[in-house]
Amino acid sequence: MNGYRRLGHHLLCTVLTLAPTPLMAAPWVRSFVVDKYEPAFHYGGRPGFEKTGTIEPGVDCPGGTLPMLDYAKVTKTSWRSDEEVASWVKPAQVTDLQTVHYMQERILSYRSFRRDIESYINPFTAPDPGMPSVVGKVAEGFNLDGNVKTGRFISPEGEKGIDNAFYRAVGCIGSYRGVPYTAAMSVRSTDKMLEGMYTMVIRLSGNEDPMNDDAATLEIGYSPDHVNKQTDGRASTSYSFRIVRNEQYSKVKAVIRNGVVETQQVPELHTPRFGWFPNQMGDADFHQGRIRLEIDRDGFASGLVGGYRDWRDLYTEDTFTQSGATVETRDHHDLVGMYYALKRNADGMPDPKTGENMGISIAYRMKAVPAYVVDPEKPVALNVSPGDSRAIKKYQQMRTIFRNGTMTATIQANPKGSSEGAPQLRQRADGSWTNSDGERGAQRDATPPIGPSTMLQQRVSEVSGEAPAASLSAR
Amino acid sequence: MQGNAAPRICLVFGLLALALSQPAVAAATRDVANLRLLTESEYRNSIRDIFGADIVVQGRFDPARRTGGLLAASSTVLSVTPAGLEAFSQMADKIAAQAVDEKHRAKLVGCAPKDPKAADDSCARPFLERYGHLLFRRALTADELKSRITLAGTQAQSSHDFYAGLANSLATLLYSPSFLFRHEIAVPVAGSKTYTLDPYSRAERLSFLMWDTSPDAEMLKAAESGRLNTAAGVAEQVDRMMSSPRLETGMRAFFADMLELDIFGDTTKDSVIYPKYNAQVAAAAQEETLRTVIDLTLRSNDDVRNLMTTRKTSISRVLASIYDVPFNFNEEWMPYEFPESAGRSGILTQVSTLSMFSHPGRSSPTKRGVAIMDVFLCEPTPLPPANVDFSIVNNTSGPLKTVRERLLAHATTPTCASCHTHSDPIGLTLEHFDSLGVHRLKENGAPIDVSGTLQGKTFVGAGGLGRYLHDSPKFPACLARKLYSYGSGANSEDVDASVYKDSYKAFVDSGYRLRTLLKTMVTSPDYFTVVPLSVAETKTAMNTAK
Amino acid sequence: MALDRRLLLRGAFHGTAVTMALPLLDCFLDGNGQALADTGKRIPTRFGTYFWGCGLTKELFVPKTVGANFETTQQLASLEPYKKKISVFSGLRAVVDDNPNFQHWSGLAAITTGIAPSKSGEFDSQTIDQTIADAIGRGTRFKSIEVTCSGNKNESYSSLGGANTNPPEVTPLGLYTRLFGPGFQDPSKGDWKPDPQVLVHQSMLSVVSDDRKRLLENLGARDKARMDQYFTSVRELELSMDAALKRPDVVAQVDIPGAPGELSVNKSVPVLQKVVPQMARLIAIGLATNQTHVFNIALAEPGSTIFMPGDSKPFHQQTHEEPIDPVLGYQPVSADFSTHSMKFFATLVKELDGIKEGDGTLLDHSLLLAYTDTSFAKLHALDGIPILLAGSASGRMKTGYHVAGDGSPVSRVGLTVQQALGMPVDSWGKGSMATKKPFTDVLA
Repeated sequence: MNGYRRLGHHLLCTVLTLAPTPLMAAPWVRSFVVDKYEPAFHYGGRPGFEKTGTIEPGVDCPGGTLPMLDYAKVTKTSWRSDEEVASWVKPAQVTDLQTVHYMQERILSYRSFRRDIESYINPFTAPDPGMPSVVGKVAEGFNLDGNVKTGRFISPEGEKGIDNAFYRAVGCIGSYRGVPYTAAMSVRSTDKMLEGMYTMVIRLSGNEDPMNDDAATLEIGYSPDHVNKQTDGRASTSYSFRIVRNEQYSKVKAVIRNGVVETQQVPELHTPRFGWFPNQMGDADFHQGRIRLEIDRDGFASGLVGGYRDWRDLYTEDTFTQSGATVETRDHHDLVGMYYALKRNADGMPDPKTGENMGISIAYRMKAVPAYVVDPEKPVALNVSPGDSRAIKKYQQMRTIFRNGTMTATIQANPKGSSEGAPQLRQRADGSWTNSDGERGAQRDATPPIGPSTMLQQRVSEVSGEAPAASLSAR
Repeated sequence: MQGNAAPRICLVFGLLALALSQPAVAAATRDVANLRLLTESEYRNSIRDIFGADIVVQGRFDPARRTGGLLAASSTVLSVTPAGLEAFSQMADKIAAQAVDEKHRAKLVGCAPKDPKAADDSCARPFLERYGHLLFRRALTADELKSRITLAGTQAQSSHDFYAGLANSLATLLYSPSFLFRHEIAVPVAGSKTYTLDPYSRAERLSFLMWDTSPDAEMLKAAESGRLNTAAGVAEQVDRMMSSPRLETGMRAFFADMLELDIFGDTTKDSVIYPKYNAQVAAAAQEETLRTVIDLTLRSNDDVRNLMTTRKTSISRVLASIYDVPFNFNEEWMPYEFPESAGRSGILTQVSTLSMFSHPGRSSPTKRGVAIMDVFLCEPTPLPPANVDFSIVNNTSGPLKTVRERLLAHATTPTCASCHTHSDPIGLTLEHFDSLGVHRLKENGAPIDVSGTLQGKTFVGAGGLGRYLHDSPKFPACLARKLYSYGSGANSEDVDASVYKDSYKAFVDSGYRLRTLLKTMVTSPDYFTVVPLSVAETKTAMNTAK
Repeated sequence: MALDRRLLLRGAFHGTAVTMALPLLDCFLDGNGQALADTGKRIPTRFGTYFWGCGLTKELFVPKTVGANFETTQQLASLEPYKKKISVFSGLRAVVDDNPNFQHWSGLAAITTGIAPSKSGEFDSQTIDQTIADAIGRGTRFKSIEVTCSGNKNESYSSLGGANTNPPEVTPLGLYTRLFGPGFQDPSKGDWKPDPQVLVHQSMLSVVSDDRKRLLENLGARDKARMDQYFTSVRELELSMDAALKRPDVVAQVDIPGAPGELSVNKSVPVLQKVVPQMARLIAIGLATNQTHVFNIALAEPGSTIFMPGDSKPFHQQTHEEPIDPVLGYQPVSADFSTHSMKFFATLVKELDGIKEGDGTLLDHSLLLAYTDTSFAKLHALDGIPILLAGSASGRMKTGYHVAGDGSPVSRVGLTVQQALGMPVDSWGKGSMATKKPFTDVLA
């Protein structure tokens, strides 16, 4: 992106923008399908560093990417002795490592001020460990409130007042930190998108000229039609996609100057969500949302989507898509810490009654290829399989429970059938550990080492009542 | 034997009764004029029509060889290799096993054995007779039937399973040469020295050409009764077949052969240069072309020459992405008409033609020109001389930027020019389309010149080429030639146009309607005229003896 | 006669109209019938699968060059001694279409059935080894033998379709007992019984041959030759059936070993290093003595939890939790586990190649399919799933190639394998994985 162009635009100095060669004004449409999408975290490591999954220190995270949790430290509470911690974190007499892992997950799930409280559902009941923030000065995003004093970041092109508090709060997490589009979680999400899990489409239209138009329109939404992946890894161009006008659909006005599209800022901008599991799909509701896209000469687009998002939703998306323990152990960050970090960095959407900031500023970046986005002549819905439907319902249930709990400071029980809380393990008389269901446990005791897949299948069906496709078996 | 027949096979019993009352086939004056191996689609369609669409046919067929532009011509030269026979035998086992399994036996066997663990000739006989008749496309001889019934009986006894015995016997029909080969039998015409095809052979010719399948019960009846020996009888069957939607199946098979769509099986594209190309694109491209052809020639009954110029087609979502147009998702296939500005012209510029006759990484005017001449004009090009130096043409980073420049440089050499001056101009007009069929105006940064000059006429772009071919008498003549050759299994290069000249005239007079060509060709009295090989060989011997 | 009869037949019929010198048969047979075409070979062709979970490391296994004589990469180093007998496939995709990508499942089911599974843990058709066993598994004591190396009887991926899988042997002693314990058919003594189906097919063929005389009437010389070619093919089938009715020779040089001792079996890598060679050896001897022609061996489950003692995290966990090393560009600990998975495959290859049989080794008369569930376990990615083949299927397979799949569906390997084993399959797989194109580069 050309810094001069961007700066000139933001200064609203039309003199500096070159007048285009006048073309015949005519209605035009240009559409895209997104094939890369991720939170816009700025990597502050070595300049020009290209490798994936960077962990090294940088100006953004001087301590480097957040290291693996020290389970023993994290799970120590006032009511849990060191011996008990050790018996869960490094259990003797348990030779099967998968069982050990599940035990660790279980103890991580319960580290609040009282033994029976599940800590991912009720993070406010555990102490704030203090998640290290991003300390760098540069971030991608938008100055959402028009106030250069509130946003403490400067954009890579030099714009001041960028509001991206989400990045500050959690930008050192291993799954998200890295050179654009290379961090583990975004590679995973893009992979799923390109395999057909979800499709995000954008349609631009206007009456003057696609590269310069004062009264353009931008539409964004889901499509039920799969992305087609080319052999070079990008989405195939010129495919047609139907756009669905459900709650994730938005239509906003935009101004285009030399191929740079800036939408108006709207109170609510609904878009598809970034995610890697079907139960994460839904509405990413950006308050004071806006989109910027840059279209290059070949018609390919890259850009940003930003606004304030409900921070509790961000916690939910990260935590309850699978289970809190899965996420903590995989992504090397403390979810309780993340809860507090999000809360204290929340910088928008003040609740009219309590004044609490319910939203946090955020930006996502994307790349998109030229496509045809069409309105379906017959109504069409997104494909959701029955299994995914159930998973989505469970996820919504967890979201509601978590919100209610944290907003009212009321402790919530772990609902039956959730993936939280890890397997019910019990210790036998001889000190060895086994799965909780007495009967099956007894059966297995009689046979030589149990494979984790068996335990896994049994545990998941006990806990969630469904086949091991979704939650805990999935990492 | 009719005692326990199911109602739905009464018709067949009727005709069987008729068949059994006919004398056995007499050997003496029945020379085989042609022995034609069934093609893969003829085999599959025959099984489908005889046993039902849910019978799975899974197996490998030996490859056919394109001669005179048609795979159908190899039906008269190919035989069954050991590996081929093994494959046919395995396919036969599987088909037969399905035909008698619990799901199918009520419908297909139609009678129940007295004891399912033992032989029962009275139930096996009608089954083997009926299917033998349909498979051999004639009644079984007494010996053939007897040996099958005996086999079914002994197998049933040794395996204690009536149906296993029945299946095994049925399988022997399925890999017999009498099923796998069409025997075109020549009988002398009374009062002349010529020979004509016997009615069974006529039935086969008509069915395989028009519906790409074995003669059905009604057609076999027309053969048995001798009706097909008369012009009226032939016309009846022809009208029946042509008014059926199944005509499209037959014509699809013909056009797939003539347009060489099987070449897609070997077409690959460089995935770095053309990352969009994949198996779905190939399959869709074939279907698009067949739909266009059938829509124009059969459904609209339009002038076939418009295949060179029409801008109307049907496309799927995948093809829409190649042609770079939006898709409306109403159905899997969307009718589409290219605007004139797209520079497209008929099937010449569909993805199929453009991508099959190109290199993996770039277009090839020579390949396209050679193919168009061969496919549409019946003018095949000989292979290049052995010592040709391709380096200038293949050097894409040299000073000659476009393919045109490189080819024209080549065409100044006399040995090359003799062929290239014919094929290249045709291909050069299509250079606005790359190896995948995508429109482009520049190559390596240089604008592409799409003019071509052939026999003093200059035309520009695909539109110009299309009109040139539309107006050339060679295309309809070639179509007629290939249709005739496909139907008769001849090498199109060896066929004398006089044998179909009447139908060709009718074709022209009708405004080049395919239906007219087809109907007049197969109802012409000469269509069934053949020379039995014994006579041909005698003549040859006599000639060489001179 | 030195002519390759198959070549001659192929060459003759892919060309001009034919007149063949008859009879064909005598000149291609010697007294022992040793020179019969593939259908009559007395050394049977074997098939086996090796499954390991969590894939390989793209940066460390994909050879830089494509085609024959590819350069051995780090993760394939253990296979270097057998390089000429293996082929490596990179860049293949499992395409799930509208089905979900079941993690640690869809990839492996796609390879062995050609179909994206509609339920996790289930197959939508029987797996390829069972289809192959139907074709080449006749006449042996066991249609197929399944083995798992780390002790869990649920870890078998050979199935007749649906949720069931063929139960595996879980210990070396168990495998030994199954193969060489009670019921062992010593091929050199005792009552070997021929496949009764062969006799049935012989009767069927003779009914067809009976028609020969009549069918040859009234044909011109050219067509007579073509009809005769058909009947020559019939005769060849008859001869191969005659051969099948005779007890097969055990031409392998092998002794039946004594029973192995009790061994503990679990997922620790050092323990596997003791167990896998034993399993591999027993399988090899079982094949050589014709107890079975088809086997399946699984190292561990798809979310492979093999581990190094002392290390708190097994393989699968590492693939998700281990960060990608910024300098190396991959996950080093996970890569080590993948390398071990390849070493175990090399152990299997070594055991088969170590048995001399006829003019080659048991491996030469076999075809092994080594496959996994994912290309990049961290993401459960399905793009670039590695597959290896070993053995030349009694000469029907060319080996020593690196085939770059270029985004082709994984089902092309399954189709190639079946065609190499002489099965009459022209297409395989469903949906976007339906294919008619085998990898002709590796088909002889």
